Amino acid sequence: MDLWLQALVSGLLLGGVYALIAIGLNLIFGVVRIINFAHGEIVMLAMYLTYWLHDLYGVDPYLSVVIVLPVMFFFGAAFQRVIVQPIQSTSAIMKIFTTVGVSLLMQNLALIFWKGDFRTINTSYSMSTIEVFNIMISIPRLVAFGTALASIVVLYFFLKYTSVGKALRAIVEDNSVARLMGVKVEKHYLLAFGLGTAFTGLGGALLMPFSTVYPTVGFTYTLLAFVVVVLGGLGSMSGTFLAGLFIGVVESFGGTFVSPALKEAIYFGIFILALLVRPQGLFGMGKGTEEVGLK
Amino acid sequence: MKRIALVLVLFAVSWLLPMGGGVCASKTLEIGALFPLSGSLALLGEESFRGVELARLQRNKAGGVAGAQIVYVQGDVSTVEAARSEAERLIEQKNVHLIIGSYASSRCMAASEVAARKGIPYFELGAVANEITGRGYKTMWRTNPTALDLSRAQMDFIVGWLAPQLKKKPSDMKLSIAHEDSDYGTSVAASCSRLAKEAGVQVVSVEPYAANSSDLSPVILRLREANPDIVVGVSYAQDAILLSRQAHELKLKAPIFGTGGGHSLRSFAEALGPVAEGVFDSDFTQYAVNPDFCPGLLEFVSLYKEKYGEPPRSGHSLANYVGALVVFDILEKTGGNMDPDAIHKAAMSLDIPLGKTAAGWGVKFGENGQNTRAPAFIMQWRGGNLVTVWPKSAAVAEPEPAKAQ
Repeated sequence: MDLWLQALVSGLLLGGVYALIAIGLNLIFGVVRIINFAHGEIVMLAMYLTYWLHDLYGVDPYLSVVIVLPVMFFFGAAFQRVIVQPIQSTSAIMKIFTTVGVSLLMQNLALIFWKGDFRTINTSYSMSTIEVFNIMISIPRLVAFGTALASIVVLYFFLKYTSVGKALRAIVEDNSVARLMGVKVEKHYLLAFGLGTAFTGLGGALLMPFSTVYPTVGFTYTLLAFVVVVLGGLGSMSGTFLAGLFIGVVESFGGTFVSPALKEAIYFGIFILALLVRPQGLFGMGKGTEEVGLK
Repeated sequence: MKRIALVLVLFAVSWLLPMGGGVCASKTLEIGALFPLSGSLALLGEESFRGVELARLQRNKAGGVAGAQIVYVQGDVSTVEAARSEAERLIEQKNVHLIIGSYASSRCMAASEVAARKGIPYFELGAVANEITGRGYKTMWRTNPTALDLSRAQMDFIVGWLAPQLKKKPSDMKLSIAHEDSDYGTSVAASCSRLAKEAGVQVVSVEPYAANSSDLSPVILRLREANPDIVVGVSYAQDAILLSRQAHELKLKAPIFGTGGGHSLRSFAEALGPVAEGVFDSDFTQYAVNPDFCPGLLEFVSLYKEKYGEPPRSGHSLANYVGALVVFDILEKTGGNMDPDAIHKAAMSLDIPLGKTAAGWGVKFGENGQNTRAPAFIMQWRGGNLVTVWPKSAAVAEPEPAKAQ
């Protein structure tokens, strides 16, 4: 029984991390409709920023969020303006090629500036745990989980009750009609990208206490973020959160009871099955949003 | 017509000018060098290349090889596909007749396959997968220890020191293996299983996992269930750290015994702090080792610091440095001739005893091209330093009991 519970708890905590990384992508993907293959590199950038703030100035990763959030927001807005906007009206393939190129560029720039060393932060709480009924819960992972939950709630209220949020949701539904309705679409793209990048950056900063950063760390996160967003359904924040948890738990159970070597294969398999049954994702906005980014 | 003639004359002259003015005073000897210099393996690929570069600079200063200055024709084997294409490029386009490399087993397997097909001698100086010298290629050579050598030193130490420490007979010892699932991890894990069986030690579980996982708690949970006395870890940098961190968090009782890779890196000790204290590791020669057993080691370290402004980041540079010097000695014997049969004759004629190179290795190639005098040593993390504790001839300290997490 202990083993099941521990695997479940570990899975939920892991899923929280996945959800945190994916939230930003949901916002960007949903609004700007771009398949950003450099998403993982944004995580990598935030992780490095957090690392250097700690290594050079002794800033605690949780405090460095105060700096990381605005920096990543501006980076995201700049990314949208400089890289995405010029190719907004081109084909999906073009956008994919461009972001893949940016991803490679960022990886290799990181390699040039910061070398290939594997960098970690060792804080007093990096390996701290609390024990509840024989189940060990890693504190930094719990913090990431809690932040994911809080982010979802904040974003949910923002999207539902503010006028900016409503404009963003209108763009997700149909951007041409939104434009006709008077929504300044390009300005909102900047906002969405900035906001999405800031949340992703938050994820990266919270990952640092228990992760290692190196130039190519982004790749796994990119793939995962897409799986979570697509499985959860575009436009649904709660969908992203629940899909993240689902993937985390499947990975944990698959790894613990089948084989650690197959854990990714298992959740990818379930992902494919889920999409076959419900292409718009578990909590998606209904039919019509399945081919996002490709139309 | 006149204009065409003028252009042709200018073109011809521009070809001749560099030739006329640039006749080199010394001959050069070109050797292909394939290492991962970008991508995920860049850190240790570069560290490995630093070793061969220092060997080159040192030997060139001493007059070069067979009167010629050594020049490397470099290739970047960042991925397995690149390993194949770079080997092709070096051989077909750059006319290289001998290649050294490659740090990573997967890259070596791919590149040396290409070289073997074209009859080009390939000297591996750092990759450990057993199959590298197990394919029956007469042009394949390796100077460094194999996965089997790493496991052999490890198992000898487990049976000879660890089991008595735990007051158990080898047949009562329970061992688990947690390994990353590429050529390196799989090869070492297979060697470890085999040697454990021969020694009578029970292997209670084997857990393969992907090195770039962000969570290894399933591995730790399975290890907890299997309840071994010791866990043999075969990991790269980030997973070695993650495995130990999560073992500590989830209270895995059995200590982890590293087998090179990430367990030998400074980043391991830095990330884990006191949790890394006492962890054993079987690997190539590291720097806290008896210098009398490794003549030239101290000189290498000061050369490294002088050129790169920092101490060596891992034992890979040392291993590649020693390997490159062996290659240069072979070329000295053949007078710079890179014909496979001449290389074969010269290589097989080398007979250097243990304790006579900067890594403490000897040199004696077996029929399959593997250096039979390159053992691994056992190190232990002490106060943030990787200290050699076994065998006695190379040790600088006595091994201390490993603490449970």
